[in-house]
Amino acid sequence: MSHKVILNIENVSQWFGKNRVLHDINLKIVQGQFVALVGPSGCGKSTLLRAILGTEPPKEGIIETDGVQVIGPNRNVGIVYQKYGLYRFLTVQENVAFGPKLDKTQIYHRTCMPWHWLPLKKQQREEAKAMLEKLRLKDSHDKYPSELSGGMQQRVAIAQALVMKPKLLLLDEPFGALDESTREELQMMLLRLYQENLAAIKIGEEPPWTVIIITHELNEAFYVSDRVVGLSKNWREMPKTGGMKRGEHFGATKVWDKAAPTFRPDEPKDFSRFIPMRDELKNSVLSEVGNVELDRNAHVSFWDDLANGVGTGVAFTKGPSDE
Amino acid sequence: MRIKQPIKQRWKIILGVIGVFILLVIYSHLSYRQHVKNPTDTTMPNFSQLMDGIKMVTTPRENALQAAFGVVEEPSSNPIVRFWTQSWKTMIVQDAWATYSRLVKGLVWGCVLSMILGTLMGCFDGLASFLLPTLSFLSKVPGTAMLAVFFVLAGTGETMFIAMIGFGILPTLTQSIYLSARDDLHHEEIDKAYTLGASNIEVIWEVVFPQILPKILDNIRLQLGPAMVFLIAAEMLVGQVGMGYQVRMQQRLLHMNVVYDYLFILGATGLLMDKGMLSFRQWWCPWFDRDR
Repeated sequence: MSHKVILNIENVSQWFGKNRVLHDINLKIVQGQFVALVGPSGCGKSTLLRAILGTEPPKEGIIETDGVQVIGPNRNVGIVYQKYGLYRFLTVQENVAFGPKLDKTQIYHRTCMPWHWLPLKKQQREEAKAMLEKLRLKDSHDKYPSELSGGMQQRVAIAQALVMKPKLLLLDEPFGALDESTREELQMMLLRLYQENLAAIKIGEEPPWTVIIITHELNEAFYVSDRVVGLSKNWREMPKTGGMKRGEHFGATKVWDKAAPTFRPDEPKDFSRFIPMRDELKNSVLSEVGNVELDRNAHVSFWDDLANGVGTGVAFTKGPSDE
Repeated sequence: MRIKQPIKQRWKIILGVIGVFILLVIYSHLSYRQHVKNPTDTTMPNFSQLMDGIKMVTTPRENALQAAFGVVEEPSSNPIVRFWTQSWKTMIVQDAWATYSRLVKGLVWGCVLSMILGTLMGCFDGLASFLLPTLSFLSKVPGTAMLAVFFVLAGTGETMFIAMIGFGILPTLTQSIYLSARDDLHHEEIDKAYTLGASNIEVIWEVVFPQILPKILDNIRLQLGPAMVFLIAAEMLVGQVGMGYQVRMQQRLLHMNVVYDYLFILGATGLLMDKGMLSFRQWWCPWFDRDR
């Protein structure tokens, strides 16, 4: 089975002045994966996200999306923030159609060639409407964002990003400010998108959505993703490998990288499938009790597991040509 | 009643009417006392004197030059044309046209320049660093004190009035727009626009400008008052026609009934322009009030 790598992070380090935030991060994400990025507060998750987005490029290392080095924010990487996700001066439908408008036309085209722009505008509005219906927002397209609940606003923000069909979608704690029922509703929406990926692979097509989600909620991380990556500042190299000892580094690095069990939106939420793994992650990566230093590579086994065929998820799913 | 406790709309209207009524009562009382002392007094004109003033400013005046040469104009048979030509001969229409056309031209120049500069300064730190010290300094110099500079640089013709309003409001308005462009947009909104495929120009035109437009309109509203101050002061000093010129002239002749009529027109027009701008903002940016 060959895997198309959509995101390639190689030896990325980031620091601000004397504050080293990220240290030597390496991560490859396969097309179609839903990856949850977890870690204690202040461990640099959002810094890594901004580096992937291109707004704060790393001081060391390279980041490539679909083989192209990231040098700034671009239409291939979509983003959904926890707040300020929508443009307040546009209606819901205009917000969703905003991306295609900017992506496919230019100012002179829209102002000087109305005979070409107006039909295109109508078509883009229809596409936006269809996307809103897909995300169950069909009755809200004429409203302004301030007239929607927090959950609906986040769904619109996701629709705004999805309509661009980005190669990689970044979700920066997207459900952090939402109540429990709304959060569950949006988690279901992510599971439905994930099912589209699996369905595409099974018929030999490229999975349409590749997602990285930052979350503080471990249950959510395991529930909506098929791979969990953990960052921590509390790590050391194994001495026998001649690596660094504590004190020689201060930035966070990848200390957890494993496939997670996958869920279907129509099946019951059975957390027991990932509770042992979740607790292990919690105790080793997130807990700072006793100041125990982690072996950097002890829980990084995704690619070995993939090679051995041990795990579930998009990367493990076979297409028609693999059978 | 608690602090900031809202009251009913009906009470708001009643209290507003009472405020105006009290002002009229105080004025009537002062005018009455003045006329008891001197029945021909014109410093505090009574109601009939004010009506005389209105009649004076709305009565068509003969063109002195035409009269000197005995030129007689044939009145048009069309009543609308006749009304129009006669109106143009009245003092109030001539002065109001001169003043408000200068005001509009000056505001357009000042607002367009301020919008461009303020928005770009909010978007590009380098431009802000370059212009901000100068603008901050100029905004602290009283506009009326700058009149002498404008007289020297732009003469005393129409260009001077327009340039004076435009450059008079520019420093303050540009700074307000700059602050809106800098602070009213979160970097997430800008970054997101780039991820949606926007270029720099599109970010400015499609994201920054629409977002700060309501604040721009509110700031322009606030600049109507200062713009009027610059204009009336300049007209009083060097005008040949205009509201400021006429107020100064009629005050010298102690025709305070005309002065009060002009002041009422200036106040009412200012209020109408303010409400007009507010309504325009509410119509053009309906999201803004819902967002607050």
